[in-house]
Amino acid sequence: MLRTTVQYALVLFAAVCLNFALPRLAPGDPVDYLFPPEQTGVITPEQRAQVLGEFGLDEPVPTQFGRYLAGIARGDLLLSVRYGRPVVDLLAERIGWTLLLVGSAVVISGLIGTVLGFRSAWRRGSAGDAPVLSGVMFLDALPPFFVGLLLLLVFSVTLGWLPTFGAQPSVSADGLEFVIEVGKRLILPLATLTATSIGPIYLVARSALLSELREDYVLMAEAKGLTQRQVRRHAQRNALLPVSTIILIGLGTLAGGAVVVETVFSYPGLGRLIYESVLARDYPVMQGAFLLLAIGVIAANFLSDLLYPVLDPRVRQSAGARA
Amino acid sequence: MNQVRKPVLLLLPLLLAGLVLPGSAVAQSPEGKPLRVAINGFENNLTPFSVSFGSAPNTNDLIGLVYDTLFWSQVKEDPEPWLAESAEPNADMTEWTVTLRDGLEWQDGVPLTAADVAFTFEYYKKQAGASGRYAHHVSDVPLFQSATVVDEQTVKITYGAPAPQFKVMPGADLPILPKHIWESVTDPKTMSTGLPVGSGPYKLVEIVPDQLYRFEANEKYFKGKPTVDKLELPVVKDPSAAFSALRTGEVSSVAFNVPPELFDQFSKNPDLALAKSTRYQSTQVNFNARKAPLSDPKLRKAMSMATDKDALVETVLLGRGTPGLPTFLHPDSVWGTKDTKSDYDPEAAKKMLDDAGYTPGAGGIRVAPDGKPLSFSMLVNSFIPQDVRAGQLIAQQLAPLGVEFKVEALDPAALTARRRPAVMGDVPPYDAYITNLESHGHVDPDALYYFFHSPGPKGFGVGITGYTNPAFDKIAEAATTAPNDERKKLIAQLQETIATDAPSMALWYKDGDWAYRPADYDGWVADPGQGILTKRSFLPEYVKVARASRESGEDGGSAAGESTEDGGSNLLLPVVAILALVGVGIVVARRRRPAGADDDD
Repeated sequence: MLRTTVQYALVLFAAVCLNFALPRLAPGDPVDYLFPPEQTGVITPEQRAQVLGEFGLDEPVPTQFGRYLAGIARGDLLLSVRYGRPVVDLLAERIGWTLLLVGSAVVISGLIGTVLGFRSAWRRGSAGDAPVLSGVMFLDALPPFFVGLLLLLVFSVTLGWLPTFGAQPSVSADGLEFVIEVGKRLILPLATLTATSIGPIYLVARSALLSELREDYVLMAEAKGLTQRQVRRHAQRNALLPVSTIILIGLGTLAGGAVVVETVFSYPGLGRLIYESVLARDYPVMQGAFLLLAIGVIAANFLSDLLYPVLDPRVRQSAGARA
Repeated sequence: MNQVRKPVLLLLPLLLAGLVLPGSAVAQSPEGKPLRVAINGFENNLTPFSVSFGSAPNTNDLIGLVYDTLFWSQVKEDPEPWLAESAEPNADMTEWTVTLRDGLEWQDGVPLTAADVAFTFEYYKKQAGASGRYAHHVSDVPLFQSATVVDEQTVKITYGAPAPQFKVMPGADLPILPKHIWESVTDPKTMSTGLPVGSGPYKLVEIVPDQLYRFEANEKYFKGKPTVDKLELPVVKDPSAAFSALRTGEVSSVAFNVPPELFDQFSKNPDLALAKSTRYQSTQVNFNARKAPLSDPKLRKAMSMATDKDALVETVLLGRGTPGLPTFLHPDSVWGTKDTKSDYDPEAAKKMLDDAGYTPGAGGIRVAPDGKPLSFSMLVNSFIPQDVRAGQLIAQQLAPLGVEFKVEALDPAALTARRRPAVMGDVPPYDAYITNLESHGHVDPDALYYFFHSPGPKGFGVGITGYTNPAFDKIAEAATTAPNDERKKLIAQLQETIATDAPSMALWYKDGDWAYRPADYDGWVADPGQGILTKRSFLPEYVKVARASRESGEDGGSAAGESTEDGGSNLLLPVVAILALVGVGIVVARRRRPAGADDDD
């Protein structure tokens, strides 16, 4: 356990350092974005220094790195160059929407993907398998923006059932009304994100169950005369291991992957913040958001490490034997 | 098997219904409901220091809802008095005495006086870094010296050189700031939260970051109570989503150009109307005039002559624009030349290069007299598909001339960085890039000075093209201080020089087409050089004129067409294709199914 903790701490530290370095390696700096020459004229070196100075970005890199580390220790992620506001506030405003959108998408696509995958594996080669397999593959091959725009055209423009943009109603609503309005705005982005992220989960679930079904214990169970339902339950339980891993890892990566969906539906999540910060070379926001993502991915891994022994007694036993 | 198919079958009617049913219009907003207009970017709290130009070209208009200028607007030769009642120069135009209107007030009730105006000029100068685009009005052209309060309503602005265009620049461009708010602010860029206080027709009452601005009318506005009480500007980045929202009625207008591909469809939609007023937008290729062999005007001119701008407009803009002119400035700008002809002549271009010693080389690429092959890179903004497409087409058009261009798509900050030399004063590394300008670049009489004056302390020089021509500089410098009639002649000469030397090649001037739902609001004012989201669209005296002219049919307006081709038909093809695929899949699957293979559940 100690070893695992140290490992995770090291990974986190490496991520913290990379988060500082990577944004600065991209060509250009925040001033290049803030002052497009066509709009503002060419910025003199003095003007450039004055602006960078307001955000402490004119200091030597080691000093900036020191301030960044000290800031993280204090829970202060500095000021955004583009928004002129504390990065912590920016992240706090958006994390709720991202958790709502991406969290629901992970849960729903995880459930659907697993159920369909297991079903397909069980009926491999049958008429029930082929349409589902090709359907899921078809959805997986569609780019998210296309699915999003298609849904938008059908359900918003043509049918007029659902709003086209935003996360919350613009007129003040309270209580149940607010929940309903938020729900209405969640449906299309959620459907898009879910539909386009089922693919990998479905495939992993399908192949995991297929390989379990080839195991001797399945043959044994069938020979013992267990019902098909019982056999399937045993095999599915074992096949859940890789599936849980891919779902949890998906949780870490989906936040970044929701950029396109958040853009199409003007959803105020983290993905769009990251995307726009990268464009603006807004180093502090990139640092903060990447840190959050790194923590997310690491936590997801940690969680799946914890979950393994629960799902798989063998892991539990070998871990017990080692201790 | 049946269990699998049922949900699919259930979905079919749903999808079909989507195709057949007409768009159920969202209930019309009753009086008092906010007017909603989609904008394409978030601009913090809309102060002149906090905007990021993310919603360009609407940035200035948004600032203009909250703040006012002394005159209006920058696109006019003799702009209309706004906060100022008048502005009188001294004999040599180095001193302007501005008299403000009576009874002006800030939105918080504090009187707006000459002290605010004087403070504004001094403050922009002091905060040159943060002032960004406004800084050049208080730096070298015109050479601002000081602003002194004469009395409550009079302020004297002093320049180090004649400033004949004071009323336009900075008069019609510089937002006037309230002294009582800003005098204690030392870091204006970080002051990007909190609600701004201006003198404009709308008070910003709520900001939902990256999502929405909510405005309320400033009932005491000196031009009369605005025609719309509440204004909501949601940020919708994706153009398809924004125009979808317009079709559903969730927004009543969209503050950016109708995309060419939607134009015909929108013209036929009876719920929508189109207003036309170009923002004097231009798209051009700028060459690095300091880098050999691109430093040779003959080479640049030959490339301009071999580029078919008509074809670019037809292909990229689907005809919704005017082909670029060699004289650069927008032909409708007060400073533009109206009778310029296209310089397209690929054969003459070839001859020009032959005569100048550019000889044929390997792979059909010519070699410059100094031995370098004419092989260049063209930087384009990867977020503007039209620019990327234009770059590719130009590369094709220039290949027969023996000039090779490779198109490199970069994100905006990377592109700006490539245009900047590593060390100030060095030659920047780029060859050419595509860039966009809007009104300000075509109506500021000093624009040509800024863009094309030789690099050095004056002008934008190296950051734009690095073009150097002492003869041009001399005329440009004279133009900055010349009275209007004289200045027009000088600017015409400057344009002729640009046409000959081609440091920049204008590709097109985009049409300004703005779509709105007349049932929600029909007071939109479409002035040349502006979009429709300007404060004048909400001020009674201008709205009245605009409505009258629309009724008399002068406006291009919308023709309520015979057929409504909306959404559905666009969708038909992909949806039918998907249904067909799914259908084929099911049929194939059933064919292949061995008898009794699916009773295993």
